[in-house]
Amino acid sequence: MPNVSGKAYGLTTFCPIRNGHKEGMANSSLLRKRLQELPENEGSPMAKVSDTYMARFYILDDAIFESYPARLDRLQSKYLVFTSNFHGDLDTYLTGMWNSINPIIKQLWADCVGFEKVDSARSFVEYIKKCQLTNTFFFNGSTDESLQEQLKSLFLKQEFSKFVFAHQGVPAKQLLQDFKDFVAWSKPKVLSSPTWKAGACSPDGICIK
Amino acid sequence: METLLDLYDIQGNIMKNYAEAGFVKARYLFFKLNNGDQGRTFVNSVIPFITSSAPWTDGDENADGVLWPEAATNIAFTYNGLKNLGISVQTLQSFPDEFIVGMRGRRTILGDNGPSDPARWDPVWHEEIHIFLSIDAQTDEAVEKRYNQIMDVLTLHQLDKVILLDGHRGNKNEGTKKYQDASVLYESGVPTSKEHFGYTDGISNPFFKGMTADMGELVGGGKKNTKGNLGYGNPELQSTWLPLETGEFILGHKDEALEYPVAPMPPLMAKNGSFMVYRKLHENVGKFNLFLDEKSKNFPGGKELLAAKFVGRWRNGVPITTFPDEKDADELAMKRQKAIQLITLAKTPAEKIEAQAAFREINKKFHAYDYNEDLNGGRCPVGAHTRRANPRGSLEFGNKKAFDSPSAVDNRRRIIRRGLPYGLTEDPAGNDGNHGTIFMSINASIKRQFEFVLQQWINYGNDFKLANDKCPILGNHSELNGKGEGRMVFGSNSITDDPPYFLNELPRFIETRGGEYFFIPSLTALRMIAEGIVDPT
Repeated sequence: MPNVSGKAYGLTTFCPIRNGHKEGMANSSLLRKRLQELPENEGSPMAKVSDTYMARFYILDDAIFESYPARLDRLQSKYLVFTSNFHGDLDTYLTGMWNSINPIIKQLWADCVGFEKVDSARSFVEYIKKCQLTNTFFFNGSTDESLQEQLKSLFLKQEFSKFVFAHQGVPAKQLLQDFKDFVAWSKPKVLSSPTWKAGACSPDGICIK
Repeated sequence: METLLDLYDIQGNIMKNYAEAGFVKARYLFFKLNNGDQGRTFVNSVIPFITSSAPWTDGDENADGVLWPEAATNIAFTYNGLKNLGISVQTLQSFPDEFIVGMRGRRTILGDNGPSDPARWDPVWHEEIHIFLSIDAQTDEAVEKRYNQIMDVLTLHQLDKVILLDGHRGNKNEGTKKYQDASVLYESGVPTSKEHFGYTDGISNPFFKGMTADMGELVGGGKKNTKGNLGYGNPELQSTWLPLETGEFILGHKDEALEYPVAPMPPLMAKNGSFMVYRKLHENVGKFNLFLDEKSKNFPGGKELLAAKFVGRWRNGVPITTFPDEKDADELAMKRQKAIQLITLAKTPAEKIEAQAAFREINKKFHAYDYNEDLNGGRCPVGAHTRRANPRGSLEFGNKKAFDSPSAVDNRRRIIRRGLPYGLTEDPAGNDGNHGTIFMSINASIKRQFEFVLQQWINYGNDFKLANDKCPILGNHSELNGKGEGRMVFGSNSITDDPPYFLNELPRFIETRGGEYFFIPSLTALRMIAEGIVDPT
């Protein structure tokens, strides 16, 4: 089945950007600038869209064939490329995306052909589907679980490993009590908290570049 | 077809382990050239001293080789050195990027941060270094004699623009020195192969096509056999191993990808040459001893076993995966120690050759092993230093035939290890002072071999399924509020029923104090450099 691997979905979309310019800049350049100004990691708007494993935006200028002889296919428009790997089905995901970050969506897609008709979750889903490219070679680099489940697992794995290192050789009775305290604090069955934040690159939010 | 190498053209530090030949003293000199003509005169004048890889004989005129030398001398160049010697832009630009940039520029990849930051290296490494010249000999006197011969070259030819660089950190109250001395360490007057933490060092080296039996060990030193299931055989059997391709270590020869390695142009410049990494590694002896004392209090196996788990060998050098019992290991180590002593005590070249042969026989037990019976690290932890640096075909994790051969993914990451300890540990509880290891790595590609091993296998753990755990001993562990943040897991042992053990708070035991990347030309290329006739067209 195209676009799908287990419970993961690989969405690939190309939305044409209207030719033209504003304030001395091409529409596509303005959009690229807006994308480059988006906050990263926890601050990224896509971190607010539930079940996003990994999303990417870029601008496709032209299609370049880089072999011999090199060839340039000039496209009729430039495209906003939006790809996302997520958990679940497409309609639910896009509806959730609209409901979480529609002011950002409106900003990013503002200059895309036909987007002026989008004013609701439903019309957004329809619009994105029109831009969609069927993806037949989708490799899911994540597990099949929901994002919340995965973030909680990651959190538990790291916290439990800290617990293990801190409790080497602790007498059994004390160890049992400490472990009970650890379980009570870490709440393995409660996905919402405590857990890793979506988009965070470390538990304390520090990113090494 | 048998690989025949022109041993008379390849510099001796590539094929020969000088220390094993009883050359237990060394001095490393670094020069800066302020004038190309003088530089070439200098290089030309030291060529007669340069030691090749040819066999050493006892003077028998019928034997192949050269007379056993009093001292061995080798030479190598940095990118800037070659530039100052007048090598053309075309040839210079054909060198690999990492060599052009140099060690300082690669510090992020090498993990040289915090106390290892180049800003804190010995003063000499703040200069632009052009030439490396090494002297290896049996005694301090022989080293000094060769050093004077080299210095006389400068006087004789009035080479005032060839500067021997000062700035090697010396011992306490000694100031800086004009050279880096190195020597084996002695215990009660007896030479050992130990470094300052007490580990026997520099045991394993790769075995490649063109080497003869007296140059190394095929069994354990080669790669795993690629034919059928032979590579999964008993590691003590000859048939389990094959020699590595020469091109992994010497340029101008076929490598493990069955290609000629990336090398500078023209081919004559590269052929029979190699690249060398030089690193001065300071050892925080006090930190190490304190950590071992503290952590072994709660470790069921005791202090020596804990020390062995770090490295994968008992401190006497015996591998723990095949000799998990300390007594057996001690017995074997004693035999090896005696064999080494006999090499240094040998008076005639004939005695020396005989003593070396005896040593190699015992030394086999130190090489002829792998981890097939110890995949989860119950005896030798998967994250132990020697297992990281040379996984010996264990990266299939028991999934037979996952690769073309059991060692397919480590065959291209092997390095020739050279070097000696430097300085003395005056205070076993102190970290200051000037003592550590001069580490040298010889390989066809610094990037693919040395840098990869350091970045991915020493300072990271993903390839071993150890997440971001670093090598316990050499890893650049961070420290917070005086406590190390490194950690290590010892696998469970199904034979002894030992549960896994978790070790934490590993601090930075080893710090970089300097280093650089060098090109070791062949004798032919060396003559061409000296004559100024390297023609890139």
